[in-house]
This record gives sequence, structure tokens and C-alpha cells, in this order.
Amino acid sequence: MARTGSARAAALSIALMSTAALAEVEFHMSTDRTKVGTEDTFRVQIVVGNAPNDALVQFPKTDDFEVLGRSESTEMGFSVGPGGAGVIKQVKKYTLTLRANRVGKLTLPPATLKSPTTTLSTEALSIEVAKGRLAPDRPPQPQHNPFAPFGIPGFPGADDEELTPLDPFSQQDIPPNEADLFLRASVDKPEPVVGEQVTYTLYIYSRVDVSSVNSPTMPKFDGFWSQDLKTSATLAPEQRLVGGVPYRAFLLRQKAVFPMRPGEYTLSAPEAEITTGFLFAGRAVKKKGNELTIKVKPLPAGVNTSNVGQWRLSTDVTQTEVNLGEPVQLRVIAEGRGNLQALELPKPEVPTGLRAFDPQTTEKASSAQGRLGGSRVVEYVLMPQQTGTFTIPGLTLDFYDPDAKRFEHARTDPITLTVKGATGAVPIAPQAAPLTTDGPKNELTAGGLKPLRHTARFSTPRAPLWQRPFFAPLALAPLVLALGLAIVGGVRRRLAQEDEPSRQRRQAKAARKRLAQAEHVLAEGSTEAFYGEVDKALRGFLEAKLGQAVAGLTRPQLDELMKGRRVKEQVRTRALAVFETCDMGRFAPGMGDAAARQRALDDAAKAMEGWS
Amino acid sequence: MSWLLLAATLAQYTPAEAQAVFAEANAAYYERDAGVAEQKYEKLLAQGQGGPDVLFNLGTACLAQGKLGKAVAALERARRLSTDDDIEAQLALARQAQLDRVLGDTGEAPFVQRLAATLDGDLVALAVLALSWLLFVAWLWWRRSEGTAPIRVLVLAGVAALTVLATAGLAAEVYVSQTVREAVVMAQTAQAKEFPGDQARTAFEVHAGLTLRVMETQGSYTRIRLPNALEGWVESSALEPL
Repeated sequence: MARTGSARAAALSIALMSTAALAEVEFHMSTDRTKVGTEDTFRVQIVVGNAPNDALVQFPKTDDFEVLGRSESTEMGFSVGPGGAGVIKQVKKYTLTLRANRVGKLTLPPATLKSPTTTLSTEALSIEVAKGRLAPDRPPQPQHNPFAPFGIPGFPGADDEELTPLDPFSQQDIPPNEADLFLRASVDKPEPVVGEQVTYTLYIYSRVDVSSVNSPTMPKFDGFWSQDLKTSATLAPEQRLVGGVPYRAFLLRQKAVFPMRPGEYTLSAPEAEITTGFLFAGRAVKKKGNELTIKVKPLPAGVNTSNVGQWRLSTDVTQTEVNLGEPVQLRVIAEGRGNLQALELPKPEVPTGLRAFDPQTTEKASSAQGRLGGSRVVEYVLMPQQTGTFTIPGLTLDFYDPDAKRFEHARTDPITLTVKGATGAVPIAPQAAPLTTDGPKNELTAGGLKPLRHTARFSTPRAPLWQRPFFAPLALAPLVLALGLAIVGGVRRRLAQEDEPSRQRRQAKAARKRLAQAEHVLAEGSTEAFYGEVDKALRGFLEAKLGQAVAGLTRPQLDELMKGRRVKEQVRTRALAVFETCDMGRFAPGMGDAAARQRALDDAAKAMEGWS
Repeated sequence: MSWLLLAATLAQYTPAEAQAVFAEANAAYYERDAGVAEQKYEKLLAQGQGGPDVLFNLGTACLAQGKLGKAVAALERARRLSTDDDIEAQLALARQAQLDRVLGDTGEAPFVQRLAATLDGDLVALAVLALSWLLFVAWLWWRRSEGTAPIRVLVLAGVAALTVLATAGLAAEVYVSQTVREAVVMAQTAQAKEFPGDQARTAFEVHAGLTLRVMETQGSYTRIRLPNALEGWVESSALEPL
């Protein structure tokens, strides 16, 4: 079967080849525009059909037009000719991209097809050229996105850059007089909403060799929050067509910018110094790009949120069953695409019985397929204050999806947390809570480390009181004093218990001492006092000698007493005489002279001496 | 020397500064940084700003880090300065974590030690002072009386009895202070040898946090006695005297 089929195909090819030579030559030229501006490009197509193999096409030559690009394609066709014979038709199409160099009604000369046997010419074309730009932007070429059916809604696929509504390579015009080298800035969304990402891209288009580029001067993105997406470290060319003209395009810078307020913003033209050529043949030229206008629209009314992009929200906790006093980490995670810096996350409602500390936020920015995004994790530390079961309600994140052109809502499920009695944890005093008769009870279990002292009374280490120097003397002082007093008392008592002779001697001694005092009175001249002292001295002496008080006794009584004590007659007489002298001296005149006093004093002394 | 004393005096914290350091240490502890808290409490102690509260918190911070020896030493010192249930509870936790179990320990110290531990030494000393002078005054009062008035005799006897009791308490305090010296094992493991010397045979081991009695010191070794009368010689560097 296979051998039979191959033979038939070979026969058909031979038949077709034999009839091809019989086909007529087709040669004509056409243009897509007859009215153009000096800043417009237009295309001229030259079609050559069934030309001999050695035929040459000569393109029109004129100074009125500049040829910016040229391409060619070949098509093969088959048709049934007269008599049922098959005819193969080969058609070559040459496409020239031209731009007029001057204003006026210009003529594009005919093209020529030359072969050794014949020469054919097309008709000339008449082109009316005006100043400036007449033609509107060409609509983008429809492209098929093979990944779109499998992409996630709201998350562009791998070919996002190719599907951008403004293709920077196909729709831009070539600047006049800069056909070989120019800067081109573009944005993917000229009319975004507030907070939507706009990608700003700056390219060099070149048909000459580019060796280096100094850091370009970028426009100020006032009214935007911006971040670099791509910055070229080396010049990597890509082949691009601009208005049908092939260029090498070098990406200089790509930034993601997010408009912050509605309004119309003009981004100034970027500039860069580009060095063309190599080594010593290099030449630096300064190029200025194009301005861009961005019209920022406000968010649609409906939901009070400033979040824009495509976001997902989730929550998790480190554990759903926890002991009292042990912390729990609650994480709120948002991830997706959009301006992460401007994202506002909802706060969890922490029920009474759980204490939430200030959260810690970590952000991780990323970019994929030219879209900025990332993730933000807000971590709350929850400290259970009492036992029981607690529910943290689910969270809702509202945002505007610019791709879907509507508000979306990302939601999380509620979280249930069970707090058990602490074992070995540091208990914390519960917060005041409204009194309830039902609901979870606060189970209090003793144990674990006791809490710290929150205030301190500071004291310097010191020796005990009993070790200080003053203690022993102070403590022993009463004992020493008591001993001293006891000793003194004992002495006194002992002194009080003297024998009779001693007592009499002591009294006699005292009487003599008193008599000696009377001598002093004698010198002073007071008669009455003198005799009084002598009388007292003698009486005291007698009391000591007799062992009995003699005060108040009359002289006879005293005499009788002395007799009873066997006192000598002579002594008794002398003592009584002294008493009489003293009475006379105190009460009778004439006894006050010094001689009488001295005599009385001598008599008293003799009476005392005679006694002993 | 005087310059050093003056510098040390000037470098000491004011009460407000000490309270601030104390609060910082507490905050560090509650932020799960017990190591920093421990350093700050020790700084207060080094500056002479001690007391039972600082020692209690230091012991708690050490206990939270598993530093048993240091924790027990601080808590025992706190207990000597203040009788508090919290201190006892913290010490009980430390004992639970301690590795050694002293077999045959009746758990009760001799009466004199228990008496001394119960009494406030300064308070007893103050009572002895006051009562001795009161007794002296009562004695004088009694001496001046004519004959033997019963009331004076009773007062004198009562004051004398109180003075004797107070003096006995003080004597117990002095005796325990002078004869009973305790220490805490600081090293994770300390070998108790049969006699002081590196060549001596190891009789048993003790571990961090054990409180024991110090009997005598010879060279770099200290003779220890456990509550069950077990004795051995350990390196003095492994112990922290209380």
C-alpha cells in the first residue's frame, strides 16, 4: 500500500512541473496608503508571480522616499488550468516600508523585473504627502494566547507581556530623523485606576551597533509609588519590528508604578547617552525619549477600601489547644499581586480572655511576569488570661480587582482556641470581665513558678544586731550595774553592823570634831553660837560614851546617869561645869569675852580627855 | 584605698535607679529573657542594693533557666532575710528538680537550728536588750521596797523569766550562726571523697542545688555533711557558702 501511494504522488509531481512553465508572469506594485504624512510610514508591496528563475527585481529608486525596511515572502499555489491540466503558481511578495522625505504630490517610480528574455515594469504610484502625521495608530495585531484557557482568573499567564494592549514594538512610529537609533518609553495601561499597577518600560531601538549606555535619566513619578522591575546590567538585544521595520531592541529599565490619586499625569521624556560602534570607532550620542500621559481613574464607588490587586487571605495559629499562660501565635497572611506597601489588612477581633500583644509584621515583595506582589504576614502573640474555649471570628479583606473590574472579598474561617489550666506556667492575673453565670469557667490551678516581686525594698547586707560592737556592753550594763549596787549595799550594811566600842569611838571622834568647829566659831565672835556648839559637842560625846541619848536631860538627871555608868567623880563634875558654863554663856551677860570662851573650850576638851 | 571606697560609693545606684534596674530586669524576665534579668539582679546585688525581693527574683530567674545551684543559693539567702510562702514554694520547686535524694533524712533539723530558724535574730537581740534593762529597773524597785511586797516579787520574777527566755533564744541564734554553716552545691556534679586529696576514693556524688552543712575546710577541700549524716570531702570551688 505504501509503495503504491508513493508512485502516484511522484507521477502527480512530474505532471505539475511540466505545466508550470506554461503559466503567465505576474508583476505589479501597490501601496496601502496614497495620502501620508512626513511622520508616517507606509508600505508598498511588489508582487512577482511565475517569474523565471534568473529574473531580477529592481525596486523603485527615488530621493523622495526613505526605505526603512524590506521583507519578502514566497507563496505556492495550485490551480486547474484549461483542459483540466494542473498549474503551479509561485508568487513572491516584496514589502517595502517607506517614509516620505518631503511634502507634496510625489511619485514613486515603477519597479522593474528583468530577465535575459524580457523586461517588465509596474506602474508608478502617486503619493500625496502632507506635513506631520496623518495616519492613526495601527491597531494591534491579534495574537493567540495559548495559555489563557488554563490561567488563573486575575493572574495573567506566562505571556502577559505579549498581550499588553499597547505593544511597544508594533504600534510606535519611528521618530523622524532618528530611524537608526531612538529611545522609546511606553506604559502598558494608559488609563489605570488608583492603586493599579502600570508597567513603565524604556527601550533603545537601534539598527546600528550599540556598545554601551550610561544610566538613563528617568522621569519623576510624582503621584506614583514606584519600584524597579528590571534593570539591564548588560545590553541584550531582541529582534522587534517597528512599523514593519526590524530593529534590535535593548531593554533599559522597567518599573512598576502605582498611581496614588486620580488625575492626569504627564511623565517627562527619559534621556540616555548611548555609545554606538566599537572600540575607537565608538561615538556617544545623547537621546531623548518620548513623554507619556497617564490618566488615573478613581476606584468605583461601592466598597470602602483602597486595596487594589488580586489578593488571597489566610490565618493560622500555632496550636488550637493551649495551657493557661502559654502564648499562641496567630498569623494573618495576605499574598497576591498589587501594591503590597499600600495593602491594609483587617485586624482580628480578640475575645475577652485572650490578651493580644502588638503584632510583628514581615513583608516579602516579589515580582512575576512583570507584576509586582508578594506576601505580608502579621503575627499576633495571644496570651490566654483564663481557661475556656474562645472563638476568633473570620477576617474579610476587600479589594478591587482591576482585571475583573469589580470588588472582590477574601475571607478566612473562624478559629477556635481551647485554653486549659496551666501546669508549670507563669500565671497572669486575669483581666476584669463582666460577670456571667454560664459559659466557660476559669479553672485556676496552683503550680509553676511564682511570679516575680514587682517592687523591691532594697537593703544592704549587714551584721546581725548581736554582732555589732555596742550590743554586748549595752546588754551587760544592767548586770554590771546591779552587781555594783549590790556590792555597795553590802558594804553599807556591813558598816551599819559595827560593835559598841567602835560606835562609841566614832561618836566621840565626831564630838571632838564638833568641838574643833566651835574653835572656828570662837574666832568669828558669836557668843551664843560658840557656847551652843560646845554644848552640842559635849553632849554628843556623852551620848557616845554612855550609849544613850542625853538630849533633854537636866544636869541632875545627867549626873545620875553618869553615876549609874560609873563615871569618875572628877569627870562628872567637869562635864557638868562645862554645861553650866555654856548655859551661862548663852543666856547671861559677861561671858562673851575671849578669855571666858577659851576657858570653856579648854574645860570641855579636858572633860573629854579625862573620860578616855 | 580611701579613693577606691569613695569611687565605689559614688558608683552606687540611687534608690530610683535601683528601682528602674529592678523593673528592667522584671520586664526582661517576662519577655522570656531570663538571662538578661539574672544579670540585672546580680548587678543590683553587686551595687549593695540587695534584699529579699531582689534575691527572690534572682532565684526565680535562675530557676527558669535551670540553674539550680544559683537559684537555690539565692532563694536560701532570701529565706534568711524574710519568711515568705513564695520563697518556700520556689525552693520546693527547685528541690523537685534537684537530682539528689538524701535517704534517711528525717527532714527535721535539730531543735536548736529549728529554733534559730524560727526566730528573728535582730528582734531577739532587741528583746534581750530591753528585757535586761527592764529587769534591772524591776530589781531596783524591789530593793527599795520595805519588806517583801508580793506584787514586786511577781513583777521581778516575770521579767526575769522573760529575760531568760529571750537570752536563750539569742544564745541559740548565736550558736547556730557560729557553728552551723551551710552551703549549696553549684557544680553540676561534685565528687565527695573519703579524705581531702585528689587521690582519695570517691565516696558519693552530689549535684547542683543540694543544700548541705559545711563542717571544716582543709586546703582546697571542704568537709560536708548531708542531713542524713553522710559526710565527704568536696572541692571548695564546687560550693557556694550561704
